[in-house]
Amino acid sequence: MSTATAQMLVPPADLRRVSASFWSDALWRLRHDPTTMAAFAVLFALAVLAVGADFLADNVFHWSFSRQDILNSYGTPNTDQPAMWLGSDQLGRSQIVRLLYGARVSLFIGVFGAVVSLVIGVGLGISAGYFRGWWDDVIVWLVSTLNGIPTLYLLLIVGFLFRLDYISLAIFIGALGWTFVTNQARGQTFSLRERDFVTAARVIGASPGRIILRHIFPNVLPLMIVIAMIDVAGVILAESGLSYLGFGIQPPVPSWGNMLNGASQFVTRGPWLVYPPGFCIALTVLCLYLIGDGLRDALDPRLRGAK
Amino acid sequence: MGRFVLRRLVQAVPTLFGILLLTFLLTRLSPSDPVALMFGDRFNVTEEQRQELRHNLGLDEPLPIQFITYLGKVVVLDFGNSFIYHRPVMQVIAERLPNSLQLSIAALLVGLAIGVPLGILAALTRGRLPDHVIRLTSVVGHAIPTFWFGLLFVLVLGVQLRWFPVGSMNAIGKENDILDRLWHMVGPVLTLSLGAISNYPRFLRTQMLEELSQDYVRTAHSKGLRGRAVVTGHVLRNAIIPLVTSLGGILTLLIGGAVITEQIFNWPGLGRLFFEALVNKDFPIVQANVVVGSALLLLSYILRDVVYVLVDPRIKVKA
Repeated sequence: MSTATAQMLVPPADLRRVSASFWSDALWRLRHDPTTMAAFAVLFALAVLAVGADFLADNVFHWSFSRQDILNSYGTPNTDQPAMWLGSDQLGRSQIVRLLYGARVSLFIGVFGAVVSLVIGVGLGISAGYFRGWWDDVIVWLVSTLNGIPTLYLLLIVGFLFRLDYISLAIFIGALGWTFVTNQARGQTFSLRERDFVTAARVIGASPGRIILRHIFPNVLPLMIVIAMIDVAGVILAESGLSYLGFGIQPPVPSWGNMLNGASQFVTRGPWLVYPPGFCIALTVLCLYLIGDGLRDALDPRLRGAK
Repeated sequence: MGRFVLRRLVQAVPTLFGILLLTFLLTRLSPSDPVALMFGDRFNVTEEQRQELRHNLGLDEPLPIQFITYLGKVVVLDFGNSFIYHRPVMQVIAERLPNSLQLSIAALLVGLAIGVPLGILAALTRGRLPDHVIRLTSVVGHAIPTFWFGLLFVLVLGVQLRWFPVGSMNAIGKENDILDRLWHMVGPVLTLSLGAISNYPRFLRTQMLEELSQDYVRTAHSKGLRGRAVVTGHVLRNAIIPLVTSLGGILTLLIGGAVITEQIFNWPGLGRLFFEALVNKDFPIVQANVVVGSALLLLSYILRDVVYVLVDPRIKVKA
């Protein structure tokens, strides 16, 4: 009897090979999803260009991002020299070099801001969902208050009052953008804390800290990874909008948003200045959304086959 | 139903309190002194005069007292006088509010009118060409920054092709011409509804597919009901209900996005007023604008919840 049970519990060899772990299965699914991999590749290429901006500016374009050439302002795109491939702006600066540095600013702010909002959001969301009571009430109040104010209003006011550099700007956008993460983490924690394995852990005397770290957080993590991608995109859009209005990244530091601010003031004189920065923002955000979709399909077993 | 609305209104009070507290703190704890902001570099003002003004404005009182005074004034909608317009702030805001509402209501309707049919079409042609095209365009549309879309509209359709006006609400001398107004609205409304147009199809498609896989659909089919009747009579009615909840996000986009859209198209609404007031350091306007914008947002959330209860028979209101 006991041997029979044991035999039934051990799956046959060929089945065991198929039952990969959750993460390696997700990775396998990602690798076989061409759209997601393409989006990864584009984003990776952008990141490499951003990191290598200094090198490329010195060795390929021979033009620094702040070098002006007033006599050649509004130069139309031409192939005479690499720096003028995409033309020059109202101060005769090289558009393509500024795009490279803009990638650096946008990607850095996007990632850093998203990390800030995830850390705040996951921390508050899980603790509110787990401890409930007055703490949960406070968090819900904070979330509804922040959601009640149009975010752009707040961003503009703070951008105006404090004149942020790009690190504080990233922190600030992240510190305002955590409500969505919190709501999701809180909802997941609500249902997780009632599950049997959490009750079991509590019964054997695990501390709340241990239950949260070892049992709840790992189960919230997959959803948070998906949200992280959407978050990075959201922060990039917020930064570019703010910089476009002139209250984000301040010139001469180029960001895709503030390049469009310059371009919008002289639409008729330099229409070619309008297309590339916006295209870069849209491309980056699009890749992040596609990766987010791919990750959701790979990480959420319930959604598999729902396409 | 009346009690439900009342309860939602009461629930909004702590949120509104939080919003007022935040706007108050933002302006008071900022490194810039309000009196200095008022004058900027425009006038020569002695330190004594500054002190006197600070006293008159109650800025030398302790912060909690200032906050209570501020609350008392907000309750009667008294936000003081604008530094620039030299008129009561609420007067200025009341003049601009209709212009903004025109845009956001039109954008909401356009978003629904374009987004909903596309979502249905995508779900019904699942896996075939229309579905792929709609899904692709809605993902791309979602990724395009609003302000860039607006700029492209102005640049290509306004400046280069001259099909549409590049800004403002009316052509000069046609202030009461409705057709002229509609023509001026095309750009800003499309820009503002870009988010909705790209969101609704994806959302509705998912909902439709979920409903289509339910048992009652098979039952309806096996009763001999024709395909179109099943879709319009059964599936769509259930799929469209969750769309109401997604209105919340769209409303945020509409009210927040107004700043950028109105700025691009030179539309004299609340968003543009906010931006100009900020640039001109007209803080009473800024403060009032945030409060009014937030109040509008809260009201529309409540409206959304009410609509949700009305359209979904599964939700019973606890009276």
